[in-house]
Amino acid sequence: MFETLALNAPSWSDLRHFVPETVLVVTFLLALMADLFARGRRPAGPFALALGGCLVALAAAVSSLPAGPRSILGDLVVVDGLAGFFRVLFPLIGAITILFSWASGEIMGPRREHKGEFYALVALMAFGMCVMASAADLIMLYLSVELVSLTSYVMAGYMRTSLRSTEASLKYVIFGSVSSGVMLYGLSLLFGLTGETTFVEIRAALLAGRADNFALLVAMVFVLAGLGYKIAAVPFHFWCPDVYEGAPTPVTALFSVGPKAAGFALMIRFFYTTLLSPGGGQAAAGAAAPDGVIVGPADWPLLIAILSVVTMTYGNLVALRQTNVKRLLAYSSIAHVGYLLMGFLMLTAAGLEAILFYLLVYAIMNLGAFLFVIALNNRLGGEEISDYAGLSTRAPWVALMMMVFLLSLTGLPPTAGFIGKMYLFAEVINRHWFWLAVVGALNSVVSLFYYMKIAKAMYFTPGERAPLRLEPLHTAVLILLAAPTLALGVYWTPFKNFVDRAVAGFAGLGG
Amino acid sequence: MIPACPLAAVSTGMHADFATVLIFILFGVFFGLLALGIARLLRPHNPHPEKLVTYECGELPQGSAWVRFNVRFYLIALFFIVFDVEVIFLYPWAVVFRQLAAAPGLGLLALLEMLLFLAILVVGLAYVWAKGDLDWVKSLTARPAGEEVAGE
Amino acid sequence: MNAGLEHFLTVGALLFGLGVFAVLTRRNAVGLLMGVELILNAANLNFAAFARYVEHGIDGQVLAAFVIVLAAAEAAVALAIVLAMFRNFGTVHVDAVDRLRR
Repeated sequence: MFETLALNAPSWSDLRHFVPETVLVVTFLLALMADLFARGRRPAGPFALALGGCLVALAAAVSSLPAGPRSILGDLVVVDGLAGFFRVLFPLIGAITILFSWASGEIMGPRREHKGEFYALVALMAFGMCVMASAADLIMLYLSVELVSLTSYVMAGYMRTSLRSTEASLKYVIFGSVSSGVMLYGLSLLFGLTGETTFVEIRAALLAGRADNFALLVAMVFVLAGLGYKIAAVPFHFWCPDVYEGAPTPVTALFSVGPKAAGFALMIRFFYTTLLSPGGGQAAAGAAAPDGVIVGPADWPLLIAILSVVTMTYGNLVALRQTNVKRLLAYSSIAHVGYLLMGFLMLTAAGLEAILFYLLVYAIMNLGAFLFVIALNNRLGGEEISDYAGLSTRAPWVALMMMVFLLSLTGLPPTAGFIGKMYLFAEVINRHWFWLAVVGALNSVVSLFYYMKIAKAMYFTPGERAPLRLEPLHTAVLILLAAPTLALGVYWTPFKNFVDRAVAGFAGLGG
Repeated sequence: MIPACPLAAVSTGMHADFATVLIFILFGVFFGLLALGIARLLRPHNPHPEKLVTYECGELPQGSAWVRFNVRFYLIALFFIVFDVEVIFLYPWAVVFRQLAAAPGLGLLALLEMLLFLAILVVGLAYVWAKGDLDWVKSLTARPAGEEVAGE
Repeated sequence: MNAGLEHFLTVGALLFGLGVFAVLTRRNAVGLLMGVELILNAANLNFAAFARYVEHGIDGQVLAAFVIVLAAAEAAVALAIVLAMFRNFGTVHVDAVDRLRR
């Protein structure tokens, strides 16, 4: 058997294309070690190391944007435009999370243990998410998903003497491990049908017609279950509201953008590489045709379309009757997954560009909204909508910034959310999915109601009048997030170009 | 498929192996019954309730065996299983290491990679150790059953 | 009768079914985790069998080895969470854990 040991020899030089990830791993280890020497009320060493590490990884990612696809580490990892985009996004999300956790009472409160560990875990999670975005093989797919999941479970239960936090992590670990197990079973079927583990070779085997259609369909649905859980699309969303409500708010903020974006990255990579064959369509069937040809038994984009509609409608309708803001934002994040899935099923470069742009915008505005919840939780000790009564008089600027985030989440001009939704819907209409566009638009209208419930409490419900001062750090980061949310609504060309370059360099669509 | 897995040759050998196992089982059962049967014929019959009591080194047994184990057992078991299972990576590596070492450049790479892997494990172990989670006696003072209970 | 691919797959599918059944019916957290282990090992059996009969290589076995390690890591994390649950709630019955949402 060993004579078949054909190594596409990995070598040290591969690491040159893996710098941000390497930095994040080293950061994790250093932060963990530094935690052993941390003294005082707050662990300055791990905090500084993790923040610095994320920023270095960010700088490394920005300075080494990959030009074209490059397969490294024995074909387990592919570094291409898509990976390049996400390895910028994830250290950024990590850095912001680390920054606002520093002043969060839930994480750094006097009764917490293992405070330094938190920062190390954020760095580790950023690493896992980067790998998810560049996995090119079933092994790496499963490893990276599990790495992100395991860190998530620990972080959800971070307040380990809190009943709510423990419950959140318990539900997360049960749903998470079941769905990743189901996904693994699907992967095993896929492996059995094709005899390959690398995405590209799986596609080649499928194109050669070696696979039984029904078994392939089962495998696909199982894999979709695992990835759907990661992004919290509707039939696989049960964990999401409880975990988001119970976990410490900074962790919820991270969950609502990080693993979700990573799930999308992996979904794009997996489906567009294994179940889509590049080229062909455009010339044959005119403007409404996708950029790729579907491989496999089923019209899977239609399946995703149904998933998308159910996801956004369910998320929005249930969000309507929430009174807890964390829970409301959880359902709203489910709805946003529905919008993003619209772009995913277009199977076009423009659809991908819209997804990536929206993910970037969504990360900024959703982190902003959650940071608002964190900052006020520090002061008010709660996160019910009624807690925010009269906030416009107590802290007018903070209320205004939250207003920006809410408008952006709804998708109203002049905010970044509007531009993101514009690109998404434009592509949906371009490809003649009119019914989908109509459902999406109706959903956006519904979402206006519950976002404005928060606005109404802040601006029109009388409450306490005493001025409220937030942690200076929180105010600073709020401004840091509110500014791009507004600015990107007015001038977004550089970011759109950045996203377009990423999609152009994506290995999946033949790039 | 046939040249890669000479299944027929393997399977006849497999059947022969199972026949051996069957003979072992039969002999095992036979000798067990034989010993018990002889004992039954020879021993005196004199039942007494104390003879049925659980044997605990000659002492009178105390309490139930269904006690709750200290939670430390579970923690140590968790650490053990994680570090134990990592060894699974060492075996395949060790098996092919000679081959890798023969290939130019790969030997050092393989060695360093495994050292790196072990170093990362050691960092984990050191962390657990320094945090005191390996200490058998760690003050497990009863914590308040959740700080939000009071506030709710 | 020789053991062929279909036999392995049948056992794998049975394991998977039992695992899903355990997950759906068990209300004890540890029992749930056992169900998850069954699911993972069903997939592992598939990987090993496919590596032998379809791939004729070692990738499937390598994947199975990784899955074994991850299953152990996952079990460790999950059991640690169950321990925390037991400390906080005084039970490992998952139905007793329902403070959220209400």
